[in-house]
Amino acid sequence: MTSHDVTLEWPDGRIRTIEVREGETVLEAAERNDIGLPFGCRTGACGTCTGRLLEGAADDALAHRRRPRALKDRHLSNGYVLLCLAAPRADCRIAVGSSVHTELVDNPWK
Amino acid sequence: MSDASTPDDVEPGHDHEHHHEGPGYTTPQAAIEESEREQLAYVMSLYVGTDVDAPDFVAVVDLDPDSETYCEIVDRVEMPERGDELHHFGWNACSSSCHVDELERRHLIVPGQRSSRIHVLDAKDRRNPELETVIEPEDVFEYDLSAPHTVHCIPDGQILISMLGDADGELPGGFLELNEDFEIEGRWEPPGEIEMNYDYWYQPRQNVMVSSEWAAPKTYYPGFDLEDVEAGNYGRKLHFWDWEDGTVEQTIDLGEEGQIPLEVRFLHTPESTHGFVGAALSSNMFHFWRDESADDGQGAYRAEKVIDFEARDHEDWDMPVPGLTTDILISMDDRYLFGSNWLHGEVWMYDISDPSNPRRADSLSVGGTFGEIQEVQGRELAGGPQMLQLSLDGERLYWTTSLFSSWDDQFYPEEAERGSVMLKADVDPRKGTMELDEDFLVDWGDCPEGPARAHEIRWPDGDCTSDVWQ
Repeated sequence: MTSHDVTLEWPDGRIRTIEVREGETVLEAAERNDIGLPFGCRTGACGTCTGRLLEGAADDALAHRRRPRALKDRHLSNGYVLLCLAAPRADCRIAVGSSVHTELVDNPWK
Repeated sequence: MSDASTPDDVEPGHDHEHHHEGPGYTTPQAAIEESEREQLAYVMSLYVGTDVDAPDFVAVVDLDPDSETYCEIVDRVEMPERGDELHHFGWNACSSSCHVDELERRHLIVPGQRSSRIHVLDAKDRRNPELETVIEPEDVFEYDLSAPHTVHCIPDGQILISMLGDADGELPGGFLELNEDFEIEGRWEPPGEIEMNYDYWYQPRQNVMVSSEWAAPKTYYPGFDLEDVEAGNYGRKLHFWDWEDGTVEQTIDLGEEGQIPLEVRFLHTPESTHGFVGAALSSNMFHFWRDESADDGQGAYRAEKVIDFEARDHEDWDMPVPGLTTDILISMDDRYLFGSNWLHGEVWMYDISDPSNPRRADSLSVGGTFGEIQEVQGRELAGGPQMLQLSLDGERLYWTTSLFSSWDDQFYPEEAERGSVMLKADVDPRKGTMELDEDFLVDWGDCPEGPARAHEIRWPDGDCTSDVWQ
């Protein structure tokens, strides 16, 4: 069975590498490893589980199982991925934790 | 009496004339007279979207000033899964069923806004509610609905929940009906009646329901993006429904000044066709009412802007800061409209004895961007006043400070780090004044798993945003 090593990196410096199996999403693999990542709807609508690919092109590294409706084009082109839908195609490094989804929008008036 | 909502020490026979054995109170005035001071509050509490690896919970807060645990969270009912975003909730029965003897106000319907999971809590023991049953998201998605929001009971024991999206978190939303056994009965309305959905309120004697509009879940879930407003992805309409038929009779576009109409309330008096809706983004209040002379005497609803909260300049902001009127409620005596300007940091009360001409009675400047009071008992505040709840007698106003996890992160990132608070003002409904009670503070920053947010508040025995009369 194919699997990929995905390295999860938190802003506080914590790093964990997990094996994500064929057909598994990054969120599912994290849960199997007892790693508590943020998530919400688990269908790709809410963006709570957003991660950011740290190197390479998102399309090469990960495939979303369904259309990631929470992400706009500008997010996708900047490497944002929804971990509830994203299945790795290669080994990769992803920024995780709750601060990542807060990068999707700014305070528009400040 | 099977009615769990009637205090034990109320004289029996007070309601003989109406053969009232069901839940709640026979009239709004009876709710004011017969209710006891609220001793407990249920408050939606959440960890979703933070790094705290714990499920959301329903907090039971002690509001009895004579208790040793006054202002403390005395019980936490944890949800079975993480990621729900507990937001709004409601009872299985309220005063609209006060004629139905076998019903009691006992079960809390607690939806997860993000998860679409619907929890039912048995609150027979008011201090220690227990999780009774769960409707899983997959079962909700089967009806091509998601993102449950407002919960009201229907007079004969069913429950109606406004659903903001389809199964993909896109439009259209709709309404999901549960039966008395808390099973999905089906979709309440024929599909296609509305696109956007948010809050709703019904006035059965007038055979009318009114619903408001936020946006598609995929639009508002990740946070507020001004581009979506420009693209028309946020709502600005009110829908007036035939309550019996479940069909939209009339839609009113509130226009540019009515962007994002959220909380919508009819007056409590069952005869009234008057109500208010807060257009959150435009920070305006609209009064709506049925004009019997409209449409050549056929009658129709009309809506008119009656309060306009001006945006304010702040030296740290590039653009004027809108008030963001995110919650409103009407006192049980229909005399006052209370509301919150979450981004400014203000709670206000307007005299609505003439609903077409609201008169500012009083306000408090607390928390938020401009609040004059920025700490209570040494606790630094973050967000402004948000979800409100008023005692049935209209003398105590309480509020929490979280709006929605992702929107909090945008405007008040400190809310995640410090947690929310619940604050209280003492209200004098005869003088039309309110005063912050600095002895009152409930702090979600002290929760054992880590700081939590706090959203909607309900009393065990009915409140100003749950009870409707037939």
